[in-house]
Amino acid sequence: MATTKIPEQKIILCGEYGVGKSSIFRRFANNTFITATGRQSTLGLDHYDKVYNVQDKDIKLQLWDTGGMERVASITSSYYKFSEAAILVFSLDNLTSFNTLSQHLLDVVTYAENAKIFLCGNKLDLQSSEPQVSDAEIEAFCEQCHNIISGVYKTSCKTGEGIEKMFYDIAYHLVESNRSRLELQTMDKHGFKISSNEESPEDSCLC
Amino acid sequence: MDEEYDAIVLGTGLKECILSGMLSVSGKKVLHVDRNKYYGGESASICPLEELFSKFGAPPPDESYGRGRDWNVDLIPKFLMANGLLVKLLIHTGVTRYLEFKSVEGSYVYKGGKISKVPVDQKEALASDLMGMFEKRRFRNFLIYVQDFSDADPKTWKDFDPNTQNMQALYDKFGLEKSTQDFTGHALALYRNDDYLNDPAVNTIKRIKLYSDSLARYGKSPYLYPMYGLGELPQGFARLSAIYGGTYMLDKPIDEIVIGEGGKVAGVRSGTEVAKCKQVYCDPSYVPDRVRKSGQVIRCICLLDHPIANTKDALSTQIIIPQKQVGRNSDIYVSLVSYTHQVAAKGWFIAMVSTTVETENPENEIKPGLDLLGSIRQKFVSISDYYVPTDNGLDSQIFISESFDATTHFETTCLDVLDIFKRGTGEEFDFSKIKHELGDEE
Repeated sequence: MATTKIPEQKIILCGEYGVGKSSIFRRFANNTFITATGRQSTLGLDHYDKVYNVQDKDIKLQLWDTGGMERVASITSSYYKFSEAAILVFSLDNLTSFNTLSQHLLDVVTYAENAKIFLCGNKLDLQSSEPQVSDAEIEAFCEQCHNIISGVYKTSCKTGEGIEKMFYDIAYHLVESNRSRLELQTMDKHGFKISSNEESPEDSCLC
Repeated sequence: MDEEYDAIVLGTGLKECILSGMLSVSGKKVLHVDRNKYYGGESASICPLEELFSKFGAPPPDESYGRGRDWNVDLIPKFLMANGLLVKLLIHTGVTRYLEFKSVEGSYVYKGGKISKVPVDQKEALASDLMGMFEKRRFRNFLIYVQDFSDADPKTWKDFDPNTQNMQALYDKFGLEKSTQDFTGHALALYRNDDYLNDPAVNTIKRIKLYSDSLARYGKSPYLYPMYGLGELPQGFARLSAIYGGTYMLDKPIDEIVIGEGGKVAGVRSGTEVAKCKQVYCDPSYVPDRVRKSGQVIRCICLLDHPIANTKDALSTQIIIPQKQVGRNSDIYVSLVSYTHQVAAKGWFIAMVSTTVETENPENEIKPGLDLLGSIRQKFVSISDYYVPTDNGLDSQIFISESFDATTHFETTCLDVLDIFKRGTGEEFDFSKIKHELGDEE
């Protein structure tokens, strides 16, 4: 039986160590939350696919976690390759994690030129009446980067607030941009994945 | 860094990254360190182009080269055999999910000053310009024999014992001419010299089968090449290691490998920090006193603004110049990749000519390869020493990989890695240890 293939959209999480990238990943993957004492750092998280339906169109978001490489070393450049979107994550209760975003942004535009960029302030539940990162600062940041930020979200992985909304909105943005880009895409840009499957992914001649 | 690890891996070249991944997957606590700021060591792909030019002390590239960061130039030319060991490792470890590949478009062999497509099936054998009419028939019969050959079924051996009789005897059985033996042994079985003629024929038969099975997989040629260059490979295995708990440190100079009781390794020191460990895995550059030089490899990176002549304008290709064709003891390899792999700016090609050094004038040795390329816009020559460890590491628990050889595929690379893993852990790598539920399974 023939099945229609839903296009996969690679989305990567970027940001300082400890801002909650893996927590966002867990919320996305199985809607769970583990407290800081219940885990060490990122272990065993790779990527996860989830289908969203936007305007009667199915779109598969494939979310990637860093694998914890940013803890002491830098992330490999191949992490960024082929990504359609990047979520820059900072913690609303940690100004430093916000101030270092420009470096992460630079990595994204260098290694994933075509990725749409989104901003996510996490740990909304920890934000006190005196916010560490103000809305004005967030706005100023978006202006500074010449409005290449496609969307700004505030989330709490602890309560789950804002997570689904963020991914649905990102899915919407990607469907919109794919529509306008579809005709520009040439097969030449892409290679194929190898698999143990005996069938060849290309129509090679079977002589 | 001041912790205790099961294993510390030094250098993030491909071999070390595969080992690091396999060790982490096997449940070992791994620290992986590189003195460089970037991943990949010798197996990195250099980006941007300006970096490559400055690395070789050349003035910066002009505008005709396009955008510098559209380039990812390998320092060591290799292709993957589609049905070879590295592809098996990639599939079994799941690292294939981080990469995309393209099939290399053509595979050629040099004979009498010109290049011809490597004939691999009966049809191609009959159409090839490498042989005369009667020789084509004989070669066709030989190919059919190899195709039908089964290790387990002596009936397919046809009154020939491949385990005791050598390859020369098999060639003679089919009456193949010397020049046919030449391209069969070097362009199909991918031997670097003629020593194989005296080895049991079964080894060569298996290598020819690997070539044709690889070809059958994706067509065109038996070779694959990753998008964005070979530097993506070590990074993929590094990610595997990190996901299984491996800790990564870059830009960290290693000042000493600390030896403890009974000559066994006890840790590594960087400045005043010491990380303790039971084992060290590293490339030769981290242990100059534990390796010896066993030869030299010359590699020449050539930037071209056109494809190679007589290859049907292939955007990627491999050409093998068998040793005897040019009066040498080891083959010359030419490989070509291009903008279609996102390793060069639009319209550009990267050719690499490489061989094992045999004389005092290595640049002159690769001339037959360079002559095939036509006009070369920019040329970078490097001559590197080939190091092998002085011992098997069992006493010191320091396991050292060999330098990358002149072959244009990864088969010897993988054999070295699997052998090191076996020496280090006392067991073969158990692929079933890799859980595939990492994420994408539904």
